[in-house]
Amino acid sequence: MTPSAQAGDPGAKSARVAVSLEAVPRAGGWFRTQSARRLGFGYALLAPAALYVSLLVAVPFLFSLYLAVSDANVGEQVAGFVGLENFKAALEMDTFWIALRNSVVFFVVAAILKSILGTSLAFLLLQNFRGKKLVRALVVIPFTLPVAISVLGWKWMYDSQFSVFNWVLSRVGLIGQYGTDAWPVWLGDPRLALLACILVNVWRTFPFSAIVLLAGFTSVPNEVLDAAKVDGCTFFQSFRNVVVPMIFPILMVGFLFDTVFTLSDLSVVYILTQGGPGNATQILPVLAYQVGIQAGNLGRGAAVALFLVPLLAPAMFIFLRNLKRREY
Amino acid sequence: MTPSAHDRARFSVTRRQFVRTTGLGLAGGSLATMLAARQAPAQIKGSNLRILTWSHFIPAYDTWFDKFAADWGEKNGVKVRVDHIPHLEIPARMAAEFAAGAGHDLIFNGATILTRIYFKNLVDLTDIYEQLGKKHGGWIPAAKSPIEVEGRIYAIPLYYILLPMLWRKDLFDQAGLKPPDTWEAARVAARTLKAKGHPTGIQLSHCNDANLNWRSLLFSFGGSETDASGENPTIDSKEMREALKFAKALFDEGMTPEVFSWDDASDNRYLASGIACWIHDAISAYRTTESTNPSVFKNAYVGMEPAGPGGKRVSVAAPNVFMAWKFSKNQAAAKEFLVHLMDNDKQGMIESTGYNMPFLNDTAQKPMPVLGTDPKLQVLQDFPKIVAFFGHPGPYTTQIQEVANLYVLPDIFTRVARGQSVEDTIKWGLGEYQRIFAKHKRA
Amino acid sequence: MSTSILARPRTARQKEWRRHVLIYLGVIPFVVIAVFPIYWMAITAFKQDPDLYRMDNIPFWFNLAPTMEHFKTLFYQTNYGAWIINTMTISAWVAVITLLTAVPAGYALARLRLPGAENTGIGIFMSYLVPPIILFIPLSRVVASLGLQDSWWALVVVYPTFTIPFCTWLMMGFFKTVPMEMEEAARVDGCGFLGAFLRVVLPVSVPGVLTAVIFAFTLSMQDFLYGLAFVAPGDQKPVPVGVPTELIRGDVYYWGSLMGAALLVGLPVAILYNFFLDRFIQGITGGVGK
Repeated sequence: MTPSAQAGDPGAKSARVAVSLEAVPRAGGWFRTQSARRLGFGYALLAPAALYVSLLVAVPFLFSLYLAVSDANVGEQVAGFVGLENFKAALEMDTFWIALRNSVVFFVVAAILKSILGTSLAFLLLQNFRGKKLVRALVVIPFTLPVAISVLGWKWMYDSQFSVFNWVLSRVGLIGQYGTDAWPVWLGDPRLALLACILVNVWRTFPFSAIVLLAGFTSVPNEVLDAAKVDGCTFFQSFRNVVVPMIFPILMVGFLFDTVFTLSDLSVVYILTQGGPGNATQILPVLAYQVGIQAGNLGRGAAVALFLVPLLAPAMFIFLRNLKRREY
Repeated sequence: MTPSAHDRARFSVTRRQFVRTTGLGLAGGSLATMLAARQAPAQIKGSNLRILTWSHFIPAYDTWFDKFAADWGEKNGVKVRVDHIPHLEIPARMAAEFAAGAGHDLIFNGATILTRIYFKNLVDLTDIYEQLGKKHGGWIPAAKSPIEVEGRIYAIPLYYILLPMLWRKDLFDQAGLKPPDTWEAARVAARTLKAKGHPTGIQLSHCNDANLNWRSLLFSFGGSETDASGENPTIDSKEMREALKFAKALFDEGMTPEVFSWDDASDNRYLASGIACWIHDAISAYRTTESTNPSVFKNAYVGMEPAGPGGKRVSVAAPNVFMAWKFSKNQAAAKEFLVHLMDNDKQGMIESTGYNMPFLNDTAQKPMPVLGTDPKLQVLQDFPKIVAFFGHPGPYTTQIQEVANLYVLPDIFTRVARGQSVEDTIKWGLGEYQRIFAKHKRA
Repeated sequence: MSTSILARPRTARQKEWRRHVLIYLGVIPFVVIAVFPIYWMAITAFKQDPDLYRMDNIPFWFNLAPTMEHFKTLFYQTNYGAWIINTMTISAWVAVITLLTAVPAGYALARLRLPGAENTGIGIFMSYLVPPIILFIPLSRVVASLGLQDSWWALVVVYPTFTIPFCTWLMMGFFKTVPMEMEEAARVDGCGFLGAFLRVVLPVSVPGVLTAVIFAFTLSMQDFLYGLAFVAPGDQKPVPVGVPTELIRGDVYYWGSLMGAALLVGLPVAILYNFFLDRFIQGITGGVGK
């Protein structure tokens, strides 16, 4: 009976073991029981992480909430309460709606592209072949280069005159010559600019998706797979019915992380287009930065930056709780 | 006999005190000056001064500035450290320092001017501003706009960067065109030369040059963004409509859609690649062709700000100022250094090979350092009379800064270039301006 | 070899051939996509400036002789050497801190059935929703009060805020795949909780731990905003901050040096990465696909 086939509550089994051990109470009362020691040990392990996050993230988060409901600016951070004024002001801004729409489009398209590329690559890397190590070394490079620098490289690759892509494409005849309408100006054409930014984001992070998947795949114990083979599953069947459910938690975590990261990433757009041309690539984090930091109006910047949080937070919460329920 | 810059450097630190009490001027060799020189300002000896400034496009200027600051520090017993970051990132750094209540003593602002946002936390520099004005022939009229709040001065203007006309004389001559002295001539030239494979380009995108260039055009057409009070947007005007119609024609006839993707450096590259017939950009674009494309360098000339239909010329420039945090533990040294720096304004201009345009009238007198002797750059000497900053004719307010940070004006021109009707675009633009202005009134 | 062999492979060796060809067909596009920009950056790093600004020049190879001048600029006129050392040191410290906090936390949340653990775990992850562009402001107050402003130690303190949550969850995922029987057996043998953790669970989860290390290291090399806000002195900056701030002056981009800088820091990290990836493949006998 393999763990994956067991549908019962995993806690029950160890609880039975624990109870049998606890049946012999030790001297010292509750504090010396298994439960107490488990809890003590557990909280001790958890404490450093929880403390770090609460001090350095939760507290500042509360501060940013405060900023979003105040009229603070960078020069005056103790300011008056204005309720939902900043959020209202954000909603009135035409640019805000454009940014919201672009953020969502960006995220959805990027997620689709990344899943496809990441999964395919992970599959390929599972195979054994000559030169595998070299390939693996090469495909992770986009993820390891510091973002500020690699995006600058892309900026030059998308240049309206010197773009290396256009150079190649025009010489093979797929696009027109320089100076004609058929020469794409990647960062200047509103239809192409957002796509160009999305492609950079996908390029940078699909190795990450592939690695998470690969790590997940390789964590599946061999006995499980052997058992599946014995039961007569083909590769794809065992993949779908055995491997995926087992690595689902890791997949989900990777996906959620990537979601939040993509939605809050400002570097790609900031470096490539600053939100232009004409707001075609304006996204929420860039807008928040321009309003909140560069123009100094912290209250409104915070409101824009936090806008998605009330939407994302419950979604994440439900998702993660569900994840935890999927014990096996 | 006027004292040399060296003498001035040595004595200026203490002379300020003396000048204030006795009203003495710069006449060198006087007893008073010698007495003043012997009083080293004891309160700044042994202290630290930290300066945050930008990475100037001329690396040699930064090298000079760092050494200049270190030398001053040595002579006065102050440990000076200078840090450089790109000008676009200074607002973030300022926000962090302010929140931390600690950081540098002197901070530079260029492109984004945040005096009005932070003024309550900046040192009042009115005294040295007036000093320096008296000493050096006064400040140009546009100087006060980025630094004055409620009648007091909170930053010292250092220099500004101009964006003149840079044009290819060889191409113009070949086509029998007149120099681009007016916007109309520039448009005709672009149209003629585009047909020969040499279009022009002005950024229609989210970048600082777009903010500067289109304002120069608008203001030269007699238009404005706000009135003199700075409280009311005035883009809904006849002049704005003319400027937009002109811009559309200029784009259609003389430019390519590339300009929608341009950033601050793209027009530089356009010129360097030999394609551009003219660009409206800082002389860095012209200067770098010396190494990247010598034939362009030989044939490119610097031109006066083109005149609008009414003959008006306004050149919108990027001001650069230094401000001092109130939380600085060394305000005295900060002020002394600023005075010393401005006393050596001419030297600074030389070190910047003519980029840094002066705010002080003495330095702006002809012949100006570097510009006066270079035949191609001489025309820049006529710019101080016509220079203006964001918000002109009003002050440089926080709402105008936000308008600039969100690139509203370039967006207006972009929309028209893309085919949106002038009326609809003005309506949209006015709406954005009004919303931003209203928020600042509320705050 | 004719195509008929590809169509209907008969011997095992022919099967291997076909398998390899198909795999390469699949893999090569990925390699090209991933590597082409790097290759291009590499070429740019060695190109002379006039070579770069000509539209008719071939971008993939040199039209004028290659030059080392950009690298010279990088090493002699900027603090690049210091930046590299800073980056490596910061990332190493952050990886250590992340391991010491995230691995135990992941285990506690995955296996120890702590009340309130579920919500704590979710809370830790939700910290990612806090936008860094707002977060850096109160954090700068924290950094200043610790006296770390303008030292790279500020980054060592701050970076774990974004590495810990993800690594905690990653470790949770890995620990969940460790069969409970193993732990219980250890405890029955008298190990106690700590013993079971250290002697049984951890060794089996080495792949997961190494993955967490890789991510912590990589994530700390991605940051720009915190580095910009907290560290101003040139010699304290890490590469991702130093390069864009000191190699872009006004509107002049020093492309050659910028690209050279990217390569010099990216390639060693990729190699390091690969070393870790190796380890966990080694740790699994055979792997999933045979």
